[in-house]
Amino acid sequence: MLVMGEVHTGLLQNSGEIPESSARDVLRLLAGETVRVSRRPIAYAVSPDRLTGVDCRLPAASQSRVRGVGTVVSRSSITGGRVVQGSSYAHVQRSGSDRRLAWSHYLARPGVIEVFGKARAEDLADGFTEDPPADCLDLGAISARFMDTVQASPLLDRRAPFKIARARLRWVARTGEPAIRLTLHSDQVRTLRIVHEGEFTPAVADLCEDLALHDWLLTALLVIIERARVGGRPGPEAAAKLAPAVDHLLHLWMPAARVDDALAPFWESLDRRPGFTRQWQSLVDRVRDQVAVNTLALLSATADAGRRRQ
Amino acid sequence: MLIFAISDKGGTGRSVTSTNIVYRHALQGNDVCYLDFDFGSPTAGAIFSVSSVARGTKTGGLHEYLRGDCAEPRRIDIWSESDREGLRIKPPGAGRLVLLPGTEGGGELATVDEEMISRCVQLFSRLEEEFDLCMVDVSAGRSFTAEMVLKATVRLPAIPFRWLVFHRWTRQHIIAADGLVTGADGLLDVGARVGHDADMLRDRIRFVRTAVLEPDAAELVGLRDEQRAWLSACDNDLRELARRHKVGRTAMLGKIPLDPVLQWREQLISDEDVLASKIANAETTAAFDDLAKKIVDDSAWEGL
Repeated sequence: MLVMGEVHTGLLQNSGEIPESSARDVLRLLAGETVRVSRRPIAYAVSPDRLTGVDCRLPAASQSRVRGVGTVVSRSSITGGRVVQGSSYAHVQRSGSDRRLAWSHYLARPGVIEVFGKARAEDLADGFTEDPPADCLDLGAISARFMDTVQASPLLDRRAPFKIARARLRWVARTGEPAIRLTLHSDQVRTLRIVHEGEFTPAVADLCEDLALHDWLLTALLVIIERARVGGRPGPEAAAKLAPAVDHLLHLWMPAARVDDALAPFWESLDRRPGFTRQWQSLVDRVRDQVAVNTLALLSATADAGRRRQ
Repeated sequence: MLIFAISDKGGTGRSVTSTNIVYRHALQGNDVCYLDFDFGSPTAGAIFSVSSVARGTKTGGLHEYLRGDCAEPRRIDIWSESDREGLRIKPPGAGRLVLLPGTEGGGELATVDEEMISRCVQLFSRLEEEFDLCMVDVSAGRSFTAEMVLKATVRLPAIPFRWLVFHRWTRQHIIAADGLVTGADGLLDVGARVGHDADMLRDRIRFVRTAVLEPDAAELVGLRDEQRAWLSACDNDLRELARRHKVGRTAMLGKIPLDPVLQWREQLISDEDVLASKIANAETTAAFDDLAKKIVDDSAWEGL
């Protein structure tokens, strides 16, 4: 019917970025299995998938009671030794039975939630992307927990270079004529609707995680620039407020780094409109220009002071 | 940083003072949040002038969150949801100001279990990621709430925390404030029992005097000389008493002068209240401003 997922993205609670070996250790806490790591074009480490069993109501826009039983797939990841993500998703399918089966049945279908009775995919998609009610399946709570586990690791010093909110991206994917729509809601919530060709594969979830990562980077950079109040305070102070962006964020922009070729057009279409990379580039230029202008001012002040001494 | 606001007795002005401190801290450019852990009477919404949660929220309150009835407590952005027009515009350069309201009709915690402590740890640790300062209003007196946050902070060794003990400038309040910190089942006693180092904990506790009437205050100009002399003698006695109870100047972080606005209507005091409508005194906002800086100023928190 459809796949629903939620990705939470935030700043790793450590003073600096962590090396690959630490990322492996931090993510290994989740299970005894190996952590997958890739180094190009950006360091990326991801924990093994874990399952969470659920038997609960699914959010439906029509408020109709839809019960789903099955498992949710979740994982945590660290990108660039700096950004943490907790991601969960589940494939919603119609149950062949009209009552709950033994758990062995659901465990044999990891990441599948079977729904009983009449449920329309569109109804569930709307219900999930509009704020889901409290007593329904809450993929966000599961993803948040997967982020918490990483953030609470004793290997991290918890002295993050700046404060920043986590962002949540709720997504639904269906099969059909390709289309993508990203909507920004409050400061922290985004929803993404994808219609893709062919069967669902985990590559779609990878795409959503990649979009969530870049959306968070963009949001974080905007927040840092707003806090710097360029023009509203002396140049050196503003430049100092921009420094964390230079130290920790600017090098992390790597759009579609881990996106399957077949899905790359989705990224490209979002990059055309609203224009992720264009906005990012203009913000990066602004930060660098501010820092450069401030450096020039400092140099000229130093030169003046030198001349006066002579 | 986590700041816990507690008082020996009710009616000390703890909530109104701590809300004004976070408000000033936000105006100084920091992202702040206020957690209403005063479960018996969650009225922070009223002080922030958010009428829909004036007595706590019906859904998603902190009480519900700690009981495990919701995954995430409700947040209210004061700059956009306050009913006071003067608060609804975020001043340039100000940080975020977010209220996490208590549950309407929630009631004091009757016990603290392991689940609650871990939810509390999770909440503090998530908020610490995004806010420069989290002010937690822990209610008056010895409570399960105080015990819960003491236990939670033991498990978050890397997150800095401080305690503010609010008391009025009277004999009974001075003695009670000391008792709340050093007495049996007081902060140090319970803190040590749950795993805090008593000396380190002591260094993280400071007192704030509320509703202070200085002998040389403008309000006292009309008094007879005898009255003024008597007040001055009382003040000296209180100073001596405070010193003996180690609630004196060295352990004091600041004092808030008596202000009619705080006495008659608990509210945030904006600059407009001082400069435009002139209902509040400039000394009051100056005291809040000063406290808002001192709570994060390490030199004000050096060992006693």
